[in-house]
Amino acid sequence: MPDINLAFERHTLPNGLRVVLHRDATLPLVTVNLWYHVGSKNERPGRTGFAHLFEHMLFQGSEHIPTHEHFRQVQMVGGVANGSTWYDRTNYYETLPAHHLDLGLWLESDRMGFLLPAITQENLETQRGVVMNERRQRVENQPYGRAGERLHELLYPGDHPYHWPVIGYMEDIAAATLEEVRAFFRTYYTPNNAVLTVAGDIVPEAALERVQAWFGDIPAGPPVPPVSAPLPPLGERRVVIEDAVRLPRSYFGFRVPAYGHRMWYAADLLAAVLSGGKSSPLYRDLVYDRQIAQDVGVHVSPYEEVATCMGVVTARPGVEVEELEEAFLSHLARAAAAPPHPEDLERARNRVLTELYSGLQKLDTRADLFSQFTTFFDDPGGVAEEADRYQQVTTEDLMELAQTCWTAEQRVAVTVVPRKSS
Amino acid sequence: MPRLPVDRTIPPPPGPLRPFRFPPFLRTRLPNGLTVLATRMSGVPLVSMELVVPTAGGQHDPNGREGLATLTAGLIDEGTVRRDSMEIAASVERLGGFLTTGADWDVGYLAAGLLAGNRAQGLELLAEILASPTFPEAEVERLRRQRLAEILRRGHDPSALADERLNRVIYAGTVYAGSLIGTEGSVPVIDRESVLDFYRRHYLLNGSALIAVGDLDPEDLLREAEAAFEAVAETKAPTPPPIRPTPLGGIEVHIVDRPGSAQTELRLGHRGVERMHPDYVPLLVLNMILGGKFTSRINMNLRERNRYTYGATSRFVGRLGPGPFLVGAAVETESAGAAAREVLFELRRIRQELVEPGELEEARSYMQGVFPYTVQTIGDLAKRLEALAVYSLPDDYFDTYLRRLDEVRREDVLAVAQRHLDPERIAVVAVGPAEELEPQFAAVGEIKVWSPEPRAQLT
Repeated sequence: MPDINLAFERHTLPNGLRVVLHRDATLPLVTVNLWYHVGSKNERPGRTGFAHLFEHMLFQGSEHIPTHEHFRQVQMVGGVANGSTWYDRTNYYETLPAHHLDLGLWLESDRMGFLLPAITQENLETQRGVVMNERRQRVENQPYGRAGERLHELLYPGDHPYHWPVIGYMEDIAAATLEEVRAFFRTYYTPNNAVLTVAGDIVPEAALERVQAWFGDIPAGPPVPPVSAPLPPLGERRVVIEDAVRLPRSYFGFRVPAYGHRMWYAADLLAAVLSGGKSSPLYRDLVYDRQIAQDVGVHVSPYEEVATCMGVVTARPGVEVEELEEAFLSHLARAAAAPPHPEDLERARNRVLTELYSGLQKLDTRADLFSQFTTFFDDPGGVAEEADRYQQVTTEDLMELAQTCWTAEQRVAVTVVPRKSS
Repeated sequence: MPRLPVDRTIPPPPGPLRPFRFPPFLRTRLPNGLTVLATRMSGVPLVSMELVVPTAGGQHDPNGREGLATLTAGLIDEGTVRRDSMEIAASVERLGGFLTTGADWDVGYLAAGLLAGNRAQGLELLAEILASPTFPEAEVERLRRQRLAEILRRGHDPSALADERLNRVIYAGTVYAGSLIGTEGSVPVIDRESVLDFYRRHYLLNGSALIAVGDLDPEDLLREAEAAFEAVAETKAPTPPPIRPTPLGGIEVHIVDRPGSAQTELRLGHRGVERMHPDYVPLLVLNMILGGKFTSRINMNLRERNRYTYGATSRFVGRLGPGPFLVGAAVETESAGAAAREVLFELRRIRQELVEPGELEEARSYMQGVFPYTVQTIGDLAKRLEALAVYSLPDDYFDTYLRRLDEVRREDVLAVAQRHLDPERIAVVAVGPAEELEPQFAAVGEIKVWSPEPRAQLT
């Protein structure tokens, strides 16, 4: 990408930890970003939500860091810390004033190498309670909050690892045991299943020396068990759910090729063609001209096994869901029948580019991308090639994507309608 | 590889501190009355240009026409003498940019973000929109309908319901009691005439600011801005009515009944201070200790010690007028009363006892250390420059801010807590199932129960 600093060097420690170093001295900051290649897809039915609950446990301290000290140590020097769990991975980061690089490495290496003594029943109970409230806040008490997980349940069969939500089901969160926490740690939180990116105002050579000092002694673990993701063909499926909402909303789900595949970029670009901006065909037709929708969007998620393409459209008061859905789907059908208007394609290409640039501004986002490309593709250089991958998509690719993935037989739908008052 | 010694038992010592200064920027008032604040940030080939109009914020909404400021801002880019709504949108979006207009309590704004090479088109468009909007009747009607649907949607969002009820209670009789987006009652009476009138009286070049950040030369930008924005004869902007809410008589509990809720949205709050108040910096320190960061008293109490919530925060909202002080959390319903009592306990405690020296040191060093992290992006920096313009802060404000933090003592924290926190005259709002909530709050204060829709009081 032009003029953007995406220089890196990569190393692999003898214990298998892959290390990416990126120097950017614009601000006196350093970020320590650690990806573990484990997410909710490594769980099994009846034990969902575990990877995420485990992420919470990792902020409860480790052998040399007492409970609550992780955040305190980071905040005390003006740093920020967080973690997140997704289907394919779990990440952790600390962004700190640059002269505190060692602090970030100390905290992350301690929980990679010395977590087990700190895992206690009390910490588990606290985080179980916190996570249950997180689920209530993000899912159960949100208008339309259950729709996303219902859509995934329809789109992927019960034994496919994208079937269940990352945060898990309430009864599974309640059932997690201390022994499972320990086993999960031993299986997945190993240097050979992780990528560490250190980015910011660093001298790469010196930073590598510090990484070796903190992480070099942590022993490698056994190979990680493979994930099974059987994907039988879909037939059209649909559910209607009632919720405390006033405006009906329809969600459509389609499977598209996994992130990294040429057709994934086609799907993402086509989503921008159809719904990226006020002048896009979907917005213009449904929201602006006909005024039957309150909002509309098509999104593609970067999953590793197979990707989810989701369309969402909210009705204006008094509009029938059937009319709304027909209008929405007609645009998807058109995308299969004819190439996009050149102006729409130009808009989408420029929009994708602007969003990529915009996302590269923050040091922690850039580090996260280096970790992501290394975790998924063993290639930190992929960060710099992302713009080209979109530019290489042809109009034929866009039509092929629409023709093969956006068919009625491969479509699932969740419609949320206002609950009938008693 | 030789084994390198690390001591895991204590936090590792830091390396040498690397200095940070707020980046230099240009600030000039043009002969046409427009102030330009610009700075170069060239990490990515993007620019952001924002026109901020401090006379066009929601604080100017007339009584009975709540939502007029945001509707006017929303309509200003829906047609000019040269282009219609879609042509305007397409002209920016085709270049990969975005155009967004809106209003908060303090300002109206028009913002464009573009690839750096398209800066000229962006500036020209902002100037055109500001100078010659046409407010077509059809667009007014369309946006009003969209707005009414949005109001309906929010009527089922527990978090929005909680915020709305809190404002109605603590700002009764002032403009801050209203809703920025308007209500079912106010939006239908806002017509094209009132929008046009608001535009004419409030969208003035004089006193407005153009904030430009990104891959640009500030001197070039200055010349372009002078050429793009023509001076016109303008009247003086109307002064907004003063916002002086009457303090509550005691602890008031307002329950918004939402049967079947999986959780309860809890708020505690009262009026706070203006952004320009001399106590603002020590108040930020106080808030950091109280509920402003993960390790704050309120979050540790409600989340880690009591497991009531996924997270709880407090804040002083700085505005031109006295914005609210508020504490917010989504809590499990069976513990909502207990959670409110714990918050009150923390508010009383911080008014009675000096904070621990370690707490003050942590808050201070967090606020100083984290500052560079908060000015990483074009948007971050634009927001900082906007604050300088809107709140008339001096050029060296952010450098001074970092030093002023050093001067805050424990006694100052106690003093501002006593002056600006008032747990005995505070509103407690709980959005959830009233039947389960009412008994829990009986001992907290006088209870009123509201139905979310229609917005009537039940008891």
